Amino acid sequence: MTTKPMNTRTIIALCVGGLALMLILPFAIAFVAGFMQGYAGKEPDIGSAVPAIVSPLIVGAMVTALIVTLVWMRFIDEAAREAHKFAWYWGGLSGLATGGVFVILATLPQAAAFDAQAMLGVRDDPAAYMALGATLLAAVMTAGYLVAWAAWWLRHR
Amino acid sequence: MNNRLKVLRAERNWSQAELAERLGVSRQTVNALETGRYDPSLPLAFKIARVFDQAIEAIFLED
Repeated sequence: MTTKPMNTRTIIALCVGGLALMLILPFAIAFVAGFMQGYAGKEPDIGSAVPAIVSPLIVGAMVTALIVTLVWMRFIDEAAREAHKFAWYWGGLSGLATGGVFVILATLPQAAAFDAQAMLGVRDDPAAYMALGATLLAAVMTAGYLVAWAAWWLRHR
Repeated sequence: MNNRLKVLRAERNWSQAELAERLGVSRQTVNALETGRYDPSLPLAFKIARVFDQAIEAIFLED
């Protein structure tokens, strides 16, 4: 890719816009989901429709995030692109390896004693445990990515 | 790889930002090139050679 890199103002605008989108959209979706769930409490018939209503919003948010990252990767210069590739591979891999330890530990019978509801206040059903595990794994991989990205830019400085 | 980017830039009294502008990359990329953190792609290497009016082999040296 040899497209012309964006100027600083455009990069900052894209960063701020992307961050705002990533911060606002989850809250907006959660608000809609919470509102719908509360409404479903009063109107039980609508309860089953909540996932169908919220799902398109979530898909839309994910698609938007992908488009933003596609535009971002297309227009940053090659060293910045290389830093992201390095970070995704080594940071993500390290995070996956770290999180994988806990995934394997979770398969042991002793893990049944883990009470997420008491410790973290989450729901106590299989779907909630799955979501919690996936979120924690994604968080560890993201942390690995951030460390690797910073290390790429800071080494040999 | 080693390179003579910093020397060539200094000979022309260009700042990293000025060189970045001429190459169409960010200042951070120029810094990464000069400190050896990053080796340029072929198109960028050719662009660097054009900007400094030197052969690629005269700018980039094998370790």
